[in-house]
Amino acid sequence: MARPYPRERSNAWFLERWPYRVFVLRELSALFLALYMGVLLVLAARVHEGSSAFRDYVDALQSPLYLAFHAVALLFALLHSVTWFQAVPKGLPLRRGEQRVAPALLIGANYVAMLALTVLVLVVVLS
Amino acid sequence: MTQAPSDATTIRLEIARYRPEQDERPVLERYDVPYRHEWVVLDALNYLKDHIDGTLSYRWSCRMGICGSCGMMVNGVPKLTCSAFLRDYLPGPIRVEPMANFPVERDLVTVLDDFMEKFQAVKPWIIRDGEQPLEEGEYRQTPAQLADFKQFSMCINCMLCYAACPVYQHEDEFLGPAVLALAQRYNHDSRDQGKGERQELIWSDEGIWDCTFVGECSAVCPKHVDPAGAIQQAKVESTVGWYRSFLAPFGRG
Ligand code: SF4
Ligand code: FES
Repeated sequence: MARPYPRERSNAWFLERWPYRVFVLRELSALFLALYMGVLLVLAARVHEGSSAFRDYVDALQSPLYLAFHAVALLFALLHSVTWFQAVPKGLPLRRGEQRVAPALLIGANYVAMLALTVLVLVVVLS
Repeated sequence: MTQAPSDATTIRLEIARYRPEQDERPVLERYDVPYRHEWVVLDALNYLKDHIDGTLSYRWSCRMGICGSCGMMVNGVPKLTCSAFLRDYLPGPIRVEPMANFPVERDLVTVLDDFMEKFQAVKPWIIRDGEQPLEEGEYRQTPAQLADFKQFSMCINCMLCYAACPVYQHEDEFLGPAVLALAQRYNHDSRDQGKGERQELIWSDEGIWDCTFVGECSAVCPKHVDPAGAIQQAKVESTVGWYRSFLAPFGRG
């Protein structure tokens, strides 16, 4: 009786093709969002402690290390938004009668909402 | 895609051979076959078997992307070889391997038992509490009710989605993309009443919750079944169901 060759498992599967690499980066993006939330929380705590503590922290944030972190976190935040917006129609197959609402419309709605919220935040911050 | 016919006259295939009586493990062997603009990878394999090496084993039947038996890895990506044109892989070589994530029986032929078992486990047929009397006629469905599951019914069981799924590669128990899409196909059929029977398995860890939403199953699916979508939708339904049973434990689920 012939023996089948057992199925192969790879511990580096996530490096093997681009779709897998993007998947891993997408999952990793949550870590950077969490770290950034940490920065925001510390910032809030400093505000609570008074204006000099706040200013010291803002100064510290301007160190190259923190700036680099922010740049990386921003890239991951963008990747996070793009990949998850892309995924919305998969989990939410809205239908009008027999027709599916075009996925592009659902994805677009998320970008519009993101833009609106960003503008809102900017208006609040700058006013 | 329209491409001008190429000047190539031959193209190189690198084929994974596994002959259990002589090979410890699959080995790549190289063959040069004629290049024709209108040939698909399967045509090249058939030429090879007819003219160069008759011992090559692989599965195929319809040659028109409907039987689902000719799936293989082409340059590392799961493809129906009857739909993968040589011209899209110029100048070659083209690496042809058995579908990933399955044991290999011989050459390009994989062992499908695991898929077959899981396929049956989700009860992929219409389940009813009782049949309505014959004189009431057929079970009618509106176009909207049909649209609710039609996409999931287009699956041809080619298993390309399994070859693309890293979760299936690492989790023996995972039911996998096509089988979970198939469960959705019946759960969403207005004539079916078997959702409750399928629920325990589908909503378990071996079912939808093992899925980490890599999404490659949907990318490689030749029939646009979108199994990744089916699984995410089932996750939403399972979550809603859980909250419902939590908030109203004695109500209808
Ligand atoms: S879901 Fe698509 S890729 Fe998976 S078995 Fe069915 S047709 Fe093939
Ligand atoms: S030979 Fe039937 S799908 Fe390719």
